[in-house]
Amino acid sequence: MDSCVKITNEWDIVAARQLGRNVAKDLGFGTVDQARITTAISELARNIYLYAGQGQVCIEKTEAAGKVGLIIISEDQGPGIQDLRKAMEDGFSTSGGLGAGLPGVKRLVDEFTIDSTPGEGTLIRAIKWLR
Amino acid sequence: MEFREVMQEKYKEILESYMKDQNEQALYLSQKFSRKSIEHKISPEEIISLHKTALLDLGIEFSEAMLPSFDILLEVMMAYGLAYREHQNLRTIQQELKSEIEVAANMQQTLLGTQVPDVDCLDIGAISVPARQMSGDYYHFVQDEQGAVSVAIADVIGKGIPAALCMSMIKYSMDSLPEGQYEPSQVLESLNRVVEQNVDPTMFITMFYGMYNTVNHTFYYSSAGHEPGFFYDHKTKDFKELYAKGLLLGVSKKTKYRQFEKKVEVGDIILLMSDGVTECRTEEGFIEVDTLKGYIQKYIHLEAQEIADKVYKELEFLQGFQLRDDFTLIILKRIK
Amino acid sequence: MNITIDVKETELQTKVRIAGEIDAYTAPKLRETVFPYTERETSNIVVDLSEVSYMDSTGLGVFVGLFKSLNANGGTLQLIGLSERLRRLFDITGLADIMNINSEVEGGV
Repeated sequence: MDSCVKITNEWDIVAARQLGRNVAKDLGFGTVDQARITTAISELARNIYLYAGQGQVCIEKTEAAGKVGLIIISEDQGPGIQDLRKAMEDGFSTSGGLGAGLPGVKRLVDEFTIDSTPGEGTLIRAIKWLR
Repeated sequence: MEFREVMQEKYKEILESYMKDQNEQALYLSQKFSRKSIEHKISPEEIISLHKTALLDLGIEFSEAMLPSFDILLEVMMAYGLAYREHQNLRTIQQELKSEIEVAANMQQTLLGTQVPDVDCLDIGAISVPARQMSGDYYHFVQDEQGAVSVAIADVIGKGIPAALCMSMIKYSMDSLPEGQYEPSQVLESLNRVVEQNVDPTMFITMFYGMYNTVNHTFYYSSAGHEPGFFYDHKTKDFKELYAKGLLLGVSKKTKYRQFEKKVEVGDIILLMSDGVTECRTEEGFIEVDTLKGYIQKYIHLEAQEIADKVYKELEFLQGFQLRDDFTLIILKRIK
Repeated sequence: MNITIDVKETELQTKVRIAGEIDAYTAPKLRETVFPYTERETSNIVVDLSEVSYMDSTGLGVFVGLFKSLNANGGTLQLIGLSERLRRLFDITGLADIMNINSEVEGGV
């Protein structure tokens, strides 16, 4: 199974969502969690499309300590985020009508890590565990 | 049963009852249900899922073709769910900020604290009430070795935290004025230099500085753009403006301040105030200066502190207990 | 609590008409709108305050800021149409002595 979707235009966001939904369904996530996972993927893919121009989103099954989950890895070589602390602040991105923003994504999943270097790009890993 | 299962069961019961006969009771229970779900942080999209599951469980007759429509509803509610969670988080942050400001306000009280001097010939009263938690008004008393009583009353533009921070700076510049320098015009000139150098260009301070000489009973004063005070003449029972004009502190480095003086007889009263007193606004507009004088007149026979408290109470009532600006009133009454 | 600010530029001057209340809530908007004009070289700003119903010390702060910025850049500030109440505010604060107020000379200085 091809587990990555290249993001270069808005339709790729839909493809990424579809991939995420399929994997989530296969792993046995309920409908609400499926919607959360796809929303998170949507947000991450949208960020790539809007700010980096291109990048990719990968979705895989992950296992740790007897738990099964789904991991989303979003990667781009865009401009990066200048102030991560601010980008992770509530009310910062949403006020500009940019959607849920990174704090929203963080809330939708169980684990969230972000690494961004201005001028080099951004790497985000988000995991949702099966309950 | 897990909490979520309990909620699912409960929802199913309510739905079943309502589907049967559309009773108001079920609607009331729904209202209670929603309050409980908010309390337990159940987000909107989960409610949709509850609804869908309950419909299926109850085997209520409806077109199967309708089912996918819930996916759309759920997806649409996702953003609301996120906004809801963000809101909850922001509320926590707001509470943290609020308590932090409370601590700062207490600290300000301690920092800016001043003691009303105890002199035989004067009865002194003072009241200062912030419009918000932190005050941009400030007053300060100093008593020198010769027995002269100096009083400063100041107002920083704006209110709240920026004004309070600025006030702390003024307080420390005043504390570090050279020993024995209590000539009002000199004090204002020194402070003006400090403010001019250290404060943002759009920030300024008004200050009235007065010195009561307890030997010759003369009040010397200068003003840096501050609201003029009143002088109550005991003999004529009349109020006069304590006229003094001078540029705001912090506008121009080389500002000179003119010093005025006023002889004070037994029974005469000096009233100093911030613009929160004269600019007191009610539903119908500003209060007239005469209204203010009227209130002072009404309580003039009382002790200085009582006059200050009573006048404040009157104006507070007049404004519907909502101060728009910080309020400070100082009263010096010569009693012998 | 509202304010409308209308800026008209002619060759000789920048005319600013303000209507409404200038207080802690509206002052930032006023500052943001007018401040850029003070940073140009030798700009002559005329502010018409005849429709201002209320102004508090925060509003004064804006004008002090504009005045200082204009002075630094060789420009001038003229305030016209002040009500008696506003006039008193500028008098008490000593600003009337250093600013050009209510002189009603149209067409720049």
